[in-house]
Amino acid sequence: MPGLRVLVSKDEFEGEIYTSTVIVEGNDLPAPKDGADSSEIGRARPRVDGRSRVSGTARYTQDVILPGMLHALILRSPYPRARVRAIDTKKAEALPGVRGILHRFNVPEIEFRSEKTIFREEVRFVGDDVAAVVADDEDIARVALGLIAVDYEILPHVVDLEEAIRDKAPKLTPEGNVFDAGSYKRGDARKGFKDAVVTVEATYRTSTQMHNALETHGAVASWDGDRLTVWESTQGIFEVRNMIKNALKMDPAKVHVICEYMGGGFGAKLGTYKYSLYASLFSMRLGRPVRCILSRREENLAAGNRSATLQHLRLGGKDGRIVALEHESWSNSGQGRWAANPTGPTNTLYDIANIASTAHRVMTNAGALSAFRAPGYVEGTFALESAVDELAAAMNVDPLTLRRRHARSAIDPRTGNRYTLKRLMDCYAIGAKEIGWSKRKAAGMRGSAPHRRRGLGMATQICGGGGGPPAYADVHFETDGTAVLRVGVQDIGTGTRTAVAQICADEIGLTLDQVTVRIGDTDAPYGPGSGGSVTLASIGPAVRLAANEARAKLLAAAGGVLEVRADELRLERGVVVSKGARTPLREILSKLSSSTIVGTGLRHPNPTGLAIKTFGAHFAQVEVDVRTGEIFVEKIVAVHDIGRIVNPLTAASQVQGGVMQALGFALTEERIVDRGLGRVMNANLEWYEIPTAMDAPEIVVRFVDTPDRKANNLGAKGLGEPPIIPTAAAVANAVANATGARVRHAPMTRARVLEALAIAGAMA
Amino acid sequence: MSLFSYARPRALAEALKLLKNGTIALAGGTDLVTLVRHGVARPDRLVDLTGIAGLRGIAREKGRGIRIGALTPLSVVEHSAELAKLMPIVPQSLRDAATPQIRNMGTVGGNLLQRNRCWYFRDEGVPCWLKGGKRCFAVDGENRYHAVVGAHECWMVSPSDLAPALIACDAEIEISSSLGKRRMKLAELFIAPHGRERREHSIRAGELITAVRIPEKALDRRGTYLKAMERKAWSFAIVSVAASARVKDGKATDVRLVLGGVAPVPWRVPAAEKLLEGTALDDNACLLAADALLDGAQPLRDNGYKVTLARELVRRALRSLVTA
Amino acid sequence: MQFRGPGALDISLNVNGQDVTVHVPPHRSLLDTVRESLGLTGTKKVCNEGDCGACTVIVDGRPVYSCLTLAIACEGRTVETIEGLSRDGKLHVVQQAFIDHDAYQCGFCTPGQVMSVVALLRANPAAREDDVRRAVAGNLCRCGAYNNIVAAGVAAAKKS
Repeated sequence: MPGLRVLVSKDEFEGEIYTSTVIVEGNDLPAPKDGADSSEIGRARPRVDGRSRVSGTARYTQDVILPGMLHALILRSPYPRARVRAIDTKKAEALPGVRGILHRFNVPEIEFRSEKTIFREEVRFVGDDVAAVVADDEDIARVALGLIAVDYEILPHVVDLEEAIRDKAPKLTPEGNVFDAGSYKRGDARKGFKDAVVTVEATYRTSTQMHNALETHGAVASWDGDRLTVWESTQGIFEVRNMIKNALKMDPAKVHVICEYMGGGFGAKLGTYKYSLYASLFSMRLGRPVRCILSRREENLAAGNRSATLQHLRLGGKDGRIVALEHESWSNSGQGRWAANPTGPTNTLYDIANIASTAHRVMTNAGALSAFRAPGYVEGTFALESAVDELAAAMNVDPLTLRRRHARSAIDPRTGNRYTLKRLMDCYAIGAKEIGWSKRKAAGMRGSAPHRRRGLGMATQICGGGGGPPAYADVHFETDGTAVLRVGVQDIGTGTRTAVAQICADEIGLTLDQVTVRIGDTDAPYGPGSGGSVTLASIGPAVRLAANEARAKLLAAAGGVLEVRADELRLERGVVVSKGARTPLREILSKLSSSTIVGTGLRHPNPTGLAIKTFGAHFAQVEVDVRTGEIFVEKIVAVHDIGRIVNPLTAASQVQGGVMQALGFALTEERIVDRGLGRVMNANLEWYEIPTAMDAPEIVVRFVDTPDRKANNLGAKGLGEPPIIPTAAAVANAVANATGARVRHAPMTRARVLEALAIAGAMA
Repeated sequence: MSLFSYARPRALAEALKLLKNGTIALAGGTDLVTLVRHGVARPDRLVDLTGIAGLRGIAREKGRGIRIGALTPLSVVEHSAELAKLMPIVPQSLRDAATPQIRNMGTVGGNLLQRNRCWYFRDEGVPCWLKGGKRCFAVDGENRYHAVVGAHECWMVSPSDLAPALIACDAEIEISSSLGKRRMKLAELFIAPHGRERREHSIRAGELITAVRIPEKALDRRGTYLKAMERKAWSFAIVSVAASARVKDGKATDVRLVLGGVAPVPWRVPAAEKLLEGTALDDNACLLAADALLDGAQPLRDNGYKVTLARELVRRALRSLVTA
Repeated sequence: MQFRGPGALDISLNVNGQDVTVHVPPHRSLLDTVRESLGLTGTKKVCNEGDCGACTVIVDGRPVYSCLTLAIACEGRTVETIEGLSRDGKLHVVQQAFIDHDAYQCGFCTPGQVMSVVALLRANPAAREDDVRRAVAGNLCRCGAYNNIVAAGVAAAKKS
């Protein structure tokens, strides 16, 4: 094959650099120039799938109801740690309508998520899988769960992060409960602190946040005797396929995964969980479709979370600058095998000469963490950006000024590589103007009512979002002149379907309604999982190449049909334009009978020796009732530097959403676990309080809309994670500005705010 | 979910006849359906009261105050022009109660008889004292939203927004059973669970609340309801305060102060109210009353902030009676 | 008066203007009934305990949570779901406003949000921003599209 080469690509995912071997073919396109005009890109377009979303016809996994479908439910451990000695299923099996039961004594050997079995001998958290039942309907399956007798030997447990760290805690592994999760050094922090004139030191805490995507995890599996089709609510159809085929030792071609619509993931749906294996195993055994969908309670026990953290920070200042920074963190990973490292922003955000950071993973008898929208970065930024403000106050420097002094560098301090683009200073300028930062007073302002104080705060974000290969797209034309774009990705609510349609229409010269997008199906060539803000920056450039090739071929064909030289033709809104003539595309294609024009594209590797990052700053204006501890977030200004904006309407929605989820993290969202019982007491949406419409402040969204021309041929970067990162710290800083009270624990509940106000003597 | 059979009678007498052992009355269902689904309630039969026509509506009865039928949806009370004029504290208390949908479904009687929201009580896997177990798990457990005062064996809190407001108006309830009718002060409906009384309400098996009555002599009261929540909507009260009084020439008499969210019952201390008699409800008097109201408070590990919050809300609610 | 159940029995409902009969037990929720028995899967199941609003339908003109409503209790009442809103393929003004204002992301809460706004505008055609915000206060959106949802409601009120 001409032009085919094998290369090594280095790409960032959630703060870590991964190396992979990729195939590249042909040449990439140049990125558009700054300010280049475009018929679709950069235009606010309502979603192409809007109609199905508002009319209830969009089919989500829970809406897949197949003839003869059976229902599987999961028996979960009521104990945080216990040995399953015996399981008696006789009564359950005798119940009419029960079709099968799986548990550790009868399950086939299955390796899954780095373990040798899907049913542990030692269950390790309340909610851990003990057995799965499949029955004719859910009612029967539920009754059957109650009829299974399990003999548990109860073992000592620990669920709380700070208890698990202590020496007297039960040891969950022979090595203990605390594990190294990475450390980093730059310069000499000890020397830096010796030089420092001002030092601040504080401990910050963040509680466990639960994703609570409205659609719970779940799957419907259907075995047709030859091939397994799995409908799953997922952020990564190919990851689901890989995990199922690996666990069940099947050929990839025999596993077909579909996710047409999905009701939110936020990181917890990257890959599959055990429910899909139960559905698949039962379906293959019984020859009928099987649905296994988690309840809200199960979702909050066994489907991931953002780790609680304990973070100790020390900052040294001199001459109005930060000269040293130390950060040590402990993250409650539950039964997870990795830690979402909170020190990423510490290590990379600011140009600070002397840094030392250490991260620890702590194992407890709680459900495993999973990625949660900027995992580690949200927790770390809350602590880091709170501490930066504390140092600014101690040095009597405006906190924005202090940040500007450390934000100018065009070099990634960790790798020494130059950024492809960094417009953080612009973010600061735009945000400061929009929030009215010049009116900020170091001691806060009077509020709108008695006992209310007003304050301004801000914080910065750094995140990945460069995406990378492999990712593929193909485009072909129907005889009616419309194009069909196929990409192996899924739309998790970010508007991927609409964005890729815009890129395709723009490149070819069609209107948006002339492009049909097919996504969410592993029968397409590979596309990446939607995590780490990679989707658009990965798939978008491939779509552009595919569309570009399709357009070139189409114009050549049109030239042949019209008997005009192809380079004298162009396509505008579905019309082939030549000198003095306009021919609708469908007229040309109808003359080619069933001959089909196909364009394909792939994602070329990222540039070597450069760092691709996104930057942004959030500004918050709050009022605080100093007698009741109530925080009123009045306004958030969110400014992001993410390269070129493909769709300003859906991009702004993403930022709005990130801010709202961050406000939940900042103010109300917190998993509450009884330490004695090991049970999550608020595994529901009643006491796990996510923001409502009444909690939404005014949110002003601004972009530094400049193409990142060195990053990829689209000039676009990811936006999924950036807007959730800096809000909590901005709010905490605004609260401190308003009242003088520093709340160092997110969420900033009434109890914590009242305590901080009392400590600060700020309740008068 | 336990299996149950169902009936929807058209007449009260018929409904009362059906209310035997193992039968539970269903109104809006917003609480009962979840209790049944989670196995906390296990009825054999449900009697749906919503087909009974005469138990709905709000009526001004000259000389006899205001009568609110027990099956009146909360949203009807919330939007009642009559109540907004005569006793605004009642609709005010519902403005931040649950959500529009719940207020459309939930009824006045159901709101007063709702079970508590303690997460140990609601978790079918926890054998708490109120469900017949040995102890209250909140005492040594997760108790940030639990009682700070008035608890005995069980530290749950009274969840209703409506109850404190109605008690502040000296409301009565009308009760029917197949044996006849009786009336009592609404405040007497609520029991702090203790000893053999492992329940929150004094109503007996086979009885139904048919109406709430706000007495004529309460109609010249001013009232204020304040509620502190963790978020801005759709939370049960961390602390709520209903305050009412007669105010003449800037002086308050006959003050009533009822707290929600702090005790197993709507919390009222007559001695605290007496401290306010004849005062101008100045800050000092208000805080003395708040201290008396919370005298004997025994916060648990995580809920001491409720005392701080309650003091301030009491002060604000009382102040608003003279400044409004 | 006879008790009915606890086994499955025929229940007559009026859903989106059509009389239908379903065979379900008394404990079956209206939500599960419209989804599983009638195939009207636009109404979503999220918490199944009245904490999220995704299952909002309109019963006798008022928005309610169908997860907390027993199907059997809806005999003799009119039930409207998201599928009943558009007429002859034309979207309801509220649905169109949701599209125009990007009042969703994943879309899972959208049918419930739309039903709440539709019910509000029927009761109060002159609804303003605060009315809309309060009307959807019982509909959680985890993607955080609230401000766009409110904007859509306000725009629909102006058009209807």
